Amino acid sequence: MSAATGDAPTGGRRPLRGIRVLELTTAVAGPIAGCVFADMGAEVIKIEGPRARTAAQSPTPPPVEGVPGHAYNRTPFWNELHRGKRHVSIDLAQPAGRELFLRLVAHSDVVLENFSPRVLGNLGIDYPDLKAAKPDIILTSMPAFGKTGPYALRGSYGPGIDAMSGLSHLTGYPDRGPGKPAQFYLDQSAGLTAALTTVAAIRHRNRTGEGQYIELAMLEGELQLVAPALMDVKMNGRVQSRIGNRHAWHAPQGVYPCLGDDCWVAIAVESDAQWRALSAVIGHPALADDPRYAGEPARHAAQDDLDPLIATWTARRSHLHAMHELQAAGVPAGAVLDVAEVHADPQLRHRETLTWVDHPEMGRFPHTRTAWRSRRGHHGVAGPAPAFGEATDYVARELARLTAAEAAALEANGTVTRVPLG
Amino acid sequence: MPEGALSGLRVLDLTEGSFDYAGRLLAGLGADVIKVEPRTGDPVRAMPPFPGDSPHVETSARHLHLNAAKRSVVIDLESEPGRDAFRRLVAESDALIESFTPGYLAARGLGYDDLIAVKPDLVMASITHFGQDGPYAAFQGSEIVDVALGGYLKLTGDHDREPVKPYDDLTTAHAAVHAAAAVVIGLFHRDATGEGDWFDVAAIDAAVFLLGGVAQIYQFDGHIPVRHGARLMFTAPKYPYPSTIRPCLDGYVHAHSNNRDAQRLAVLMPGLGLEELLDTPMGNADAIDEKMDEWLADKSKFEAVRRAQELRLPFTEVLTPAEILDDPHLAARHFLVELPHPVAPSSSQPGAAGILSATPWRHQRAPLLGEHTDAVLNDVLGLDAAEIAALRGSGVIA
Repeated sequence: MSAATGDAPTGGRRPLRGIRVLELTTAVAGPIAGCVFADMGAEVIKIEGPRARTAAQSPTPPPVEGVPGHAYNRTPFWNELHRGKRHVSIDLAQPAGRELFLRLVAHSDVVLENFSPRVLGNLGIDYPDLKAAKPDIILTSMPAFGKTGPYALRGSYGPGIDAMSGLSHLTGYPDRGPGKPAQFYLDQSAGLTAALTTVAAIRHRNRTGEGQYIELAMLEGELQLVAPALMDVKMNGRVQSRIGNRHAWHAPQGVYPCLGDDCWVAIAVESDAQWRALSAVIGHPALADDPRYAGEPARHAAQDDLDPLIATWTARRSHLHAMHELQAAGVPAGAVLDVAEVHADPQLRHRETLTWVDHPEMGRFPHTRTAWRSRRGHHGVAGPAPAFGEATDYVARELARLTAAEAAALEANGTVTRVPLG
Repeated sequence: MPEGALSGLRVLDLTEGSFDYAGRLLAGLGADVIKVEPRTGDPVRAMPPFPGDSPHVETSARHLHLNAAKRSVVIDLESEPGRDAFRRLVAESDALIESFTPGYLAARGLGYDDLIAVKPDLVMASITHFGQDGPYAAFQGSEIVDVALGGYLKLTGDHDREPVKPYDDLTTAHAAVHAAAAVVIGLFHRDATGEGDWFDVAAIDAAVFLLGGVAQIYQFDGHIPVRHGARLMFTAPKYPYPSTIRPCLDGYVHAHSNNRDAQRLAVLMPGLGLEELLDTPMGNADAIDEKMDEWLADKSKFEAVRRAQELRLPFTEVLTPAEILDDPHLAARHFLVELPHPVAPSSSQPGAAGILSATPWRHQRAPLLGEHTDAVLNDVLGLDAAEIAALRGSGVIA
């Protein structure tokens, strides 16, 4: 029995059950970190300012028929990033909002934040303030460039940090300017790294009673992945640049045209055996014994000669047929799928990579779970995204233990809101 | 020296190539990560770049970075005595990460269901391109294949050209981060319940995870997004723009604004008539690009970014690897580190992925091939010198 088809004999106990996370996040990376906690069973409370949601302008679909919906509860990307979490809106700039927040900290394990470095200090909720409220609290910050250094106060988002990490310089066509990996790369990677680092810190706290402050500069996380290019500068005085779809040393590798508009297949040959197989599939078996293409360095140098031979073969096939024919012969190949094809792909469906959850206002919603399945069923997503302010009573009455009158006063003066303002 | 967040945990690492990043993260957090290598070494040791472009088993940049802070043990898993030694190591470890093709370990009696016989609460993560089962489980994988099937490749590049692969091994490395997270979460669960687990991590899943909302937005507006170079692809006319890369005097600048600060662009670039264009930014993206190019033409990237950031516009420089090494911010934070090595020449490499106030990141050079074989067999398995010599004599270890 494999992990993917295994039973889940744990009685539903999720690994991070009993952990409470307060999520003071914006954009993408911070919410991704919170997603991992929520999916794995932690209680994650997203705390948002009353005016934060006005930044989200992406189009929203209509509500499910018969449901009295609110457009601000139907933003697809926001909902993807907050699945399985609770939600409360607190104006932390108000003294009463700060006081309420610190009461929540006293009952929490982790605070996650990814604002620019001055924000927590300006609000009076930096690590020393949190520690005073909860001595073993773990605060995980995800500043773009770090809390120190000349760029500490620079603003940036994932794609801008991709640019500073070298990824933009290194992604794209050799004969054109710098590119960018799809929408962005960094946010998802940084979010996962923050989650695993924070869980490690909870383990340390459980063993020692000691909390801590974790600073994960997004740029420094991303530079881990650029190490080969960075080290090549010092080792060889070489400044790598864009190489398009080619591999740094394997060959041939590329994206080849197929039947249809904007249809392509990606092919990677990484051994002599795969080269022999590819030569046979594309109808040029003699190439495998041609001394001009014997061995990887020779093929790498001669790839301009090989690409047209491969493209002639792929151009007469659909991208899916080309993939299956090549894979049947043992050649690494993948159809270049668009997002609709990703939804339909049999392997991704088999793995439930997109995991469907019912959302009260949006209906069935496809969330992207983390990249694992587990024998015990510790995978998937925890539930739909929360409606704005849905946890207001829970937070104010049960966690902060406010009286009904105190809670009502916070709502009356706008410290806590149940609908987004502005 | 304070201990690491994962101190006291032993992780066996049977991964290859960029999947090695999983163990690197765990080692940085303080786990005792032991690479179990074949006699020829982890294949990452054969991957460029090398100093002087001379391949050497100890000097690959990828190895020096991805295997830093790990230990190295050479055990031949193709021999039964080697497998026996490995099983005994598993019994004394907490977790195992591996990246063989599905079924490779099971065929050698070392699959999850075999290993829980010697270590019932084992936490194991298997990283593959496509997953342990399913219609593509027997496919041949590769970074470019993973990004193709995950939908990430089709969104990278220019609309008038073929899709273009993101740099190097971004997606396999991202799968490794998921695997590291799974291991830490699995160990956390084990500590609470005594239950182990087996995590099946797939790089194609990691590629889909990288889509960043595209799969969700598509579901609700039915619009199949296309690649747009360095632009963000949300295409509603009123969506904020720019988020793009444009040329300047000495290179390129990443230009960015939100809808809340878009009008600051007109302040940054006065006299160009940007005000009207910014009412429907995404709808006027081409025209905005032309204006930006005009403004950027006589400015260096550092000058352009400095002026934009003064107005709190989140512009950044597009940096080359050489510029990153000389960057004053990274220097002030002492981010790049030198880890003196007995064979590899002095070089700087990326340092801590995070700064943890109570449990500092572990910096330690990558191990020589088999450097810790004797120590591990002695300390962990209790073998004496004669037993170790016998195993070495028969070629089981090195």
